[in-house]
Amino acid sequence: MWTWGQRELAVASACSTACVLLVSGVGEAAEAAVRADLTAQYYDVPSPYGDPVVQRRRYTHTLDLDVSDIDGDTSFDAPELVFRTRLRLDADFGQFSNERDPEDLDNFAPGLEQAPFDVMALYLEGRHYLGGAVGFRVGRQYQVDSLGWWSFDGALVRADVPGVFGIEAYGGFEQRDTLGMLGTSRYAADGVFRGDRSDLEQNEWPSYLEQSKLAPAYGGSVQTLGLEFLQARLSYRKVLNRDHVRVSLFPEPDGEVRSISDTRTSTEQAGLSLSLQHADLGSLDGEAVYDVFVQRLSELQASLDWYASDETTLGLSYDYWLPVFDGDSIFNWFGHAPSQTGEVVASTALSPSADVGLRAGVRVYGLALTPDESLGKDERWVDELVALNARYRWGQGELRFDGDSQWGDTGHRVGGNVSGAQRFLEGYYDTLVVLSLYDFEDELRPERAATSVGYVIGGGLSPEIEGIVRTRLGLQWEHWYNQLAAHQFRVLLSLTVTEFP
Amino acid sequence: MRQLFMTRCRTRLLVVGLLFAALLALALPQSARAKGPAQPPAVHGLAPLPQGAPVPLSDRPPGAFPHDGGPSPVVFPAQEISIRFNHRLHIHDLGLGCTDCHVNATSSRSSGDSLLPKPTACDGCHKSDHRELHAVKSLTSDLISQCGYCHIGYQPDHGDRVARQHFPAPHLKFSHQAHSRRNIGCAQCHGQVDRIELATRDQLPRMRGCFDCHQMPEPARGDAPGECTACHLQDAAGRMRTEFPEGRLEPPSWLFNAGHDAGFLERHKFVAGNNSELCTSCHSESYCTDCHDGRVRPRNVHPNDFLSLHAVAARQNSPDCSSCHRAQSFCLGCHQRVGVTLSGPAENFAGRGRFHPPKSVWTDGAMGSQHHGSEARRNLSACVSCHTESDCVLCHATAELGGGLSGRGGGVSSLSPHGAGFAARCRGALRRNARSCLTCHHPQDAKLGQCR
Repeated sequence: MWTWGQRELAVASACSTACVLLVSGVGEAAEAAVRADLTAQYYDVPSPYGDPVVQRRRYTHTLDLDVSDIDGDTSFDAPELVFRTRLRLDADFGQFSNERDPEDLDNFAPGLEQAPFDVMALYLEGRHYLGGAVGFRVGRQYQVDSLGWWSFDGALVRADVPGVFGIEAYGGFEQRDTLGMLGTSRYAADGVFRGDRSDLEQNEWPSYLEQSKLAPAYGGSVQTLGLEFLQARLSYRKVLNRDHVRVSLFPEPDGEVRSISDTRTSTEQAGLSLSLQHADLGSLDGEAVYDVFVQRLSELQASLDWYASDETTLGLSYDYWLPVFDGDSIFNWFGHAPSQTGEVVASTALSPSADVGLRAGVRVYGLALTPDESLGKDERWVDELVALNARYRWGQGELRFDGDSQWGDTGHRVGGNVSGAQRFLEGYYDTLVVLSLYDFEDELRPERAATSVGYVIGGGLSPEIEGIVRTRLGLQWEHWYNQLAAHQFRVLLSLTVTEFP
Repeated sequence: MRQLFMTRCRTRLLVVGLLFAALLALALPQSARAKGPAQPPAVHGLAPLPQGAPVPLSDRPPGAFPHDGGPSPVVFPAQEISIRFNHRLHIHDLGLGCTDCHVNATSSRSSGDSLLPKPTACDGCHKSDHRELHAVKSLTSDLISQCGYCHIGYQPDHGDRVARQHFPAPHLKFSHQAHSRRNIGCAQCHGQVDRIELATRDQLPRMRGCFDCHQMPEPARGDAPGECTACHLQDAAGRMRTEFPEGRLEPPSWLFNAGHDAGFLERHKFVAGNNSELCTSCHSESYCTDCHDGRVRPRNVHPNDFLSLHAVAARQNSPDCSSCHRAQSFCLGCHQRVGVTLSGPAENFAGRGRFHPPKSVWTDGAMGSQHHGSEARRNLSACVSCHTESDCVLCHATAELGGGLSGRGGGVSSLSPHGAGFAARCRGALRRNARSCLTCHHPQDAKLGQCR
């Protein structure tokens, strides 16, 4: 029987109440926007062996609140205070209760929650303070830089050195599902399986590590400001683990189970991103990330684009990627080599309404920048890649093709989608049709090769409701077929309500 | 004899005449030959330059590209111009200034203001009377005072009406007054209008030209703020409004290489990682999290049957997977439920087949393309999406901790998973976080001593 998480409900209520109070208490000049998205999804995920079939009966609800100009002064360069929050409930009513019962070890899946609620973002942001040079953020916030898409709870201060650099420093705690009901593990470094072990015996699921403490994090960046030809950003971040976690995954001969609880590195990385731009010629963009903890280059990406004409851009791109993991994870120290991808890129606008993008290249696995980190010649793989995107757009609609192919030593995956969307009566109705065809084969599992054919039919209705800026009710039906999974279906029902109180 | 002479002369004249006609035909311009009869004199004021000739780049607004076709139609929607007008004539030959006709050009504070001259502004010279627009009069019979002289397509017997003009307000915030007070002349935004005839959308400002002032470094920028919403319309959340009836407003390529072309999805990471503030000018964080922390599969990233395709895609494109998915929660959680992991709910393993190649090849065979060691070294992320560390420790931990397949004949040392260069890095690893070391090595293990 499904039991609603009372904690989740209490937190959701408290946050909603806080939002309403905030909206009602802000200055008259302040502007607020509220948006609610409800999505219901119904589909099955069959095991490759046919059984079990995981039923997904999902209900996802997000609530956004943005309040800008809280202090009421809308003039330029005046200090500005902004509040933003996004809350999410992601329930799955297709789960079986015994999958969450730690006493039913035959069916228990660690970490599975029926209705996790999380505060995706909740922060107060100030801009243009001290003559426009200083800004700040306090609360749960995202950080986007060359080190990736990341989230933390804490404070960030940004200061502009006039005309030269912007400096950013932040500190707080990495967003984890540490508090259970409030966060997700999405932003924690990979390679460690963590969660709430409070209902598990000591020797059950030894690799499911206890996570009970906050993970301190700090970092900063320096970036160029106001230069049309150059944008560069140097970033650094360090996250610490303080959890009391098990070290011995199996009882040792003396029966001891060792654990560790000291403060230690989770991740420590430095990254540089750079964009050199000439409006008539083109652009050189790049990113590099060095993992200080692993002591290896983990990412290196570069692209050179030439604006061959007003309509056409030609370019080259290079991508080096080495997986790195949390400091607690053993996987960092397993010998592994990066994948490297080189592509030629072209995009052209055939008309103001139509454009085409093409990428073609090779991906090499097992070859590193230094010979000692490369694998032997017989352990290197090479794949070829081609991607073609084309679209034709008009005022109320779009027709596009997205093709994606990769083949070589890993097997092959070749196919594409044709999709069309059209709005009618200035958006009162909208429609979507997608046709797709893919053929795929995994070189390690040739028996699981298949050809997939599918389609999507969808539509929406955006009625005008007094007092509400925008409402959209949508329905999509997906059907696909391949020899492995036979016929599969997915129904998606969505409701979006946007309001500016 | 004379008759013969005359006949020969006629023949020669005919031949010479034909040759001359042929040469003349070849010498004539192609267009003249095609059009046949001679063309009437060019009518001025129907286009920026007579006969639709291209306006030199130096005369167009600053920031214009050679073949850009004018500014964005989403910002400056298409116009309907039904007036013939010659700016060059009025400025150079008649000595008028811009504000003689566009009288509000220095005082307007809104982009929605119409700065077109009122029809009565023309009356003084054109000898017409536009005071009553439903009863406009020509005061003389001169050609320039006739309606049809300026109003294109005017037909007196067609209800005595002129075609309506349509100059939609731009989707921008703009104060001519503020710019005028900064001594910014008309040409600094509109180009050399005094050298053209009819002003069209092509004479409207380009954003690249605005950036001459609006992207200057802090001390020099003066009153020219660099925020997008200084000029662009914004929504209630303070971000740029991008959806308009004319289409979607998107950045140009020259703006930090952020042009949203058909392949932008692949390279948006460069723009976002380097200048995330630029993205947030238009996009809410929710827009980003819909993919990067999403709960509804984004169809533009994952095609229809991605549940079946994803296994191959993950082996091929692990970098792409990791930009949105965490293997040891998102991937592992589902893989355990469908029974494709080594450690998971026991019930899910009942009766299932083997996922990997046969054990004799995958684990016990010689290192090669079908061996798990090679697969792990090439694409470790794919392993981590199904296996927890206990699966690996089972064999790779030292014998003191119950690991190592000593019975397999290889001995403990042969199962070391460490790669080349590990010895140089292990000291730092042990000092910063000993947990991973101690998972496979007993604290008293002599090998740890080498890293202390």
